[in-house]
Amino acid sequence: MVHIVKRMRKLRALLGIRLGPGAAELPPDVKRIHLDFATKFNDGHLGPRKFWRHYLPRLKYHNPAVSMTINRTHNQSGSATMTIFFADSSKDGSPPTAATSTTTSGLPSDHIPFDRTETVEMKHRHESQILSELVKLTKARKIEATAEEKEQLKQVQEDRRQSEKSSQRAAVINAQRKQKEEMLRQARAAAEAQDV
Amino acid sequence: MASLKMPIAQLSRLTIGPAVRSQPRLPFVFSGAADQLRCASTKANPKYKKKDTKKKKKTTRSSFIQYSLKDAEQFSLCDAMRYIRAFEVGRPPTSAKYEMHLRLKTLKNGPVIRSRLQLPHPVKTDIRICVICPPDSKAAEAAKKHGAVLVGEEAIFEAVKAGRIEFDRCLCHVDSLAKLNKAALGRVLGPRGLMPSAKTGTVVKDVGATVKEMVGGSEYRERLGVIRMAVGQLGFTPEEMQKNIRYFIDHVKKDMSAMSDKIHKELYEVVLSSTNAPGFSLNGDFRSANSPSTRDLSVL
Repeated sequence: MVHIVKRMRKLRALLGIRLGPGAAELPPDVKRIHLDFATKFNDGHLGPRKFWRHYLPRLKYHNPAVSMTINRTHNQSGSATMTIFFADSSKDGSPPTAATSTTTSGLPSDHIPFDRTETVEMKHRHESQILSELVKLTKARKIEATAEEKEQLKQVQEDRRQSEKSSQRAAVINAQRKQKEEMLRQARAAAEAQDV
Repeated sequence: MASLKMPIAQLSRLTIGPAVRSQPRLPFVFSGAADQLRCASTKANPKYKKKDTKKKKKTTRSSFIQYSLKDAEQFSLCDAMRYIRAFEVGRPPTSAKYEMHLRLKTLKNGPVIRSRLQLPHPVKTDIRICVICPPDSKAAEAAKKHGAVLVGEEAIFEAVKAGRIEFDRCLCHVDSLAKLNKAALGRVLGPRGLMPSAKTGTVVKDVGATVKEMVGGSEYRERLGVIRMAVGQLGFTPEEMQKNIRYFIDHVKKDMSAMSDKIHKELYEVVLSSTNAPGFSLNGDFRSANSPSTRDLSVL
């Protein structure tokens, strides 16, 4: 197994998933967020994908009870939308129409019917725009880093700077070594060519 | 070092080269010169020698390095699952899996753990099983009844030789073993881990029962002191995961105690990870003070 220090350093990613853009607590009436976009990023689907990859894990970490599903289509020219499902105390609304998805086969059968849905158009928009739209619609509460976490974040940044420095140093040494090897190889090849 | 050496080599070529070329071709002269040059290059480069001595020192270790878990961050199952859920957000729940890594305290050589079990909540239910036995025997009938995909002898041998391996597990009846060995499929099936052998428990008398055990079962083996196995689908609840993990670890412990007369093995660390998440070292608790409710954690 990989060295424990390496593994623990990798686990620093956990801080990244707890804090940063997207770390927000949704109010209890938000029940589900569904994203619908294309598999490839051209024609305005880059923002939605980055939203999914970078921001959605943070949202999911702070809101484990909110179902977050994604449906990626092969229709590149199609729309990219985010649907937010709300369920208030009165549970007599009609079920949503946009609930059909290929990735939601594991959805519990006893989920509460939604009484209100909001749709956000994501096409050709930056992930931060999508996030701010979501926060505005749901009135989510942003989660700030505590003093201790700030200290940890600082430490992580310090480590990153240090590792960058050492990797640059190592790159110089490696380049020199490679150059030497290449020169040796060329000399040998020349010697052999003259031999034959 | 090398920059010094290169001009010398070139110099020697320059001085010897033309003189030699004018003479009639004598192969031994050339080969001698080439050998000398090669010798010189290895002798002149002390890097290789150094490496060799280092390697020798390294091989004296007989067991795997055990790192102290004192500084390691460890998690309760629910906390680890919460993180993994976040890392796996939006992934298809059937393709992403929870994985378990069990690190053992063990010698580098010696017998390894290799076994299979049936988890209380099976992870993969669609494995294709191939049974090698006479196609019209009783055993073949039983195997087919319990869900084997391919049953036969020569037909399978030919298909495998032609490169069509359309199964994930392979069993062999005791009476067909001689035929199997004669067909010399070891070279094809061996590297894939599909070759039936008594050691792995895939050469059996009661084929039907084994097939029944295998459907929905999973295999594991120890590699470099670590046992890895998929223990759950992403959609499993924490309770289901707990049952699976407990069963798996108990099974491994039983295997270890069965081997205790030959080799001493000890469970050292339990790590839970998944297809897209980092590994979380577990501390053995089910949940911690501030982990979310288990119902919340089963929401995709």
